[in-house]
Amino acid sequence: MNPSTSTWDTRKTELELPEEIDLQVELANVGSRTLAILIDLTLGGLVLFIVYSLWELLAHNISEDWFMKMSSHVLKIVLLLLFFGFQWCYFNFFEWLWNGQTPGKRLLHLRVIKVDGSPVSGIDVLLRNLSRPVDTLGPMGLIGLLMIFINRKAQRLGDLMAQTLVIHETAIDWSIFDQMEAQAGTGGAAVIRLNAKQWELLHRYLNRREKFEYDVRERLARTVYDVLKRTAQGTDLERSPLPPEDWLVELARRT
Amino acid sequence: MTLGTFVRNNRPRWQRLETMLSFIEARGPAKADRPFLRELSALYRATTGDLAFAQTHYRGTTLQLFLHQLVARAHNQIYRPHRLSPYILGKFIFTEIPQAIREHLASVTWAAIIFLMGIALGLSAVQFDERAASIILPNNVLNSIYSGKMWTGSLFSVLPAPVASTYLFTSNISVALLAFAGGLSCGLITAVILFQNGFMLGVVFKLCADYGLLGAVLAFIAGHGLLEISSIVIAGGAGLVLANALLYPGRYSRGDALAVQGRSAVRMALACIPALVTAGCIEAFISPTNGHTWFKAVLGLMLGGCFWAYLLLTGKATVKPVAK
Repeated sequence: MNPSTSTWDTRKTELELPEEIDLQVELANVGSRTLAILIDLTLGGLVLFIVYSLWELLAHNISEDWFMKMSSHVLKIVLLLLFFGFQWCYFNFFEWLWNGQTPGKRLLHLRVIKVDGSPVSGIDVLLRNLSRPVDTLGPMGLIGLLMIFINRKAQRLGDLMAQTLVIHETAIDWSIFDQMEAQAGTGGAAVIRLNAKQWELLHRYLNRREKFEYDVRERLARTVYDVLKRTAQGTDLERSPLPPEDWLVELARRT
Repeated sequence: MTLGTFVRNNRPRWQRLETMLSFIEARGPAKADRPFLRELSALYRATTGDLAFAQTHYRGTTLQLFLHQLVARAHNQIYRPHRLSPYILGKFIFTEIPQAIREHLASVTWAAIIFLMGIALGLSAVQFDERAASIILPNNVLNSIYSGKMWTGSLFSVLPAPVASTYLFTSNISVALLAFAGGLSCGLITAVILFQNGFMLGVVFKLCADYGLLGAVLAFIAGHGLLEISSIVIAGGAGLVLANALLYPGRYSRGDALAVQGRSAVRMALACIPALVTAGCIEAFISPTNGHTWFKAVLGLMLGGCFWAYLLLTGKATVKPVAK
């Protein structure tokens, strides 16, 4: 809607399905991908920390008790396997099991798909995740970040190798369609025709305005008003002295 | 048709498709019966029609995006890749992995050459100046060798064998996988890993020979050495395959070359995992024991031989490819 905001954070890419429909998906931006990784790292770190604390507890309560010694060793093996598993298997396992999502990605509505729109296979998941030490983790992460910025489809090296994309799945607000029944009839005033995009913008704003702080609500109303005021050209609403928010309510009444 | 009417008329269909997809995503297609699948495919086609309509009339709305994602979800279920089955897994292990290695024997050879160069430099470094060993070996190992004893004895008396084997194979697999992924740095990381491991081996050999431990160190590595070195060289070869795709993509673009070669390279890297688990267990359970040198040597040669026989001989194509 606002051209200045649709730069790198709303990149879209077109896919082609066998049904010959171009699928336009919204690529996940750098911020949400980084956040998803941080969530995953925190999750793994937490599990490792708990097991490590348990092991420390056992190792420091030195006793010649056979059972204590044994469980300390077992915990040590578990710790080694967990660390290894987190490093090399965590992302692979979840992206394979949950069709391209890890817990962090699921929380942020991200998903890994193939460049042609099909779901990722086991080999794709391995290719994009075994390459993480080279382009995601530690200081090497800078390379991955740079790749996501530069590449047209926001692919890091591992994504290029596996031919995958990370997309963002947007939720739709159904409630704006339910209200349509309620506001029929314009009360005699001229009907203003909006196209689908404008109509949706107007109703998404009106639907959500209650949830905003007062000043955000004012500012947003002004932005939406600026976009939509052209639609009222030639009607009495064009020169109406109403403040933006009331003007929008009035506009909704007349469509 | 206005946006509202379109949504009102068709939303039940989309909701039905969503519930069906949730079911099939959670339970798998095998749990679905025939009418279910028929309905799913009909709904999928109808929804692609809705999407086409929305593309034309409601461009840029969230509805269009919603339909995109619904169609993509359905598409994912209908055109899903093969599920994991024993047949697929068997084919992967006994055909695809050995074929990938045979296809890239040149890269494996190059990896072996870099590794051997590491050994040669390690040998000559210690020959030239004994203190060179302190670059790469930790102090306790050095002191142990200087006093004419194997360092393995004290190392394995601290850690019980199960813990030691876990430690050994996890760290070895990490190194191998890093050697594979390092190919993406145009082979730099791969070459460093191969060279470093070779260098360490060369240093240990020369130093042990100087202090009269050559027999002991050979007896120690007899059981697991061949398997471990083969694995690291193969993983390094996988990394070099990636580096080759990046540096010399030939007729492909760099991205496409990487995508094509990556598929065989990852198969090569995966071959190392079972080998390294086996090597780690032998190194912790069998290698530190005293005596049994012949047994260790035979075991090591046999396992190494089996590994290479598996890689070089299994999974040959039964039908000869048409000559180009």
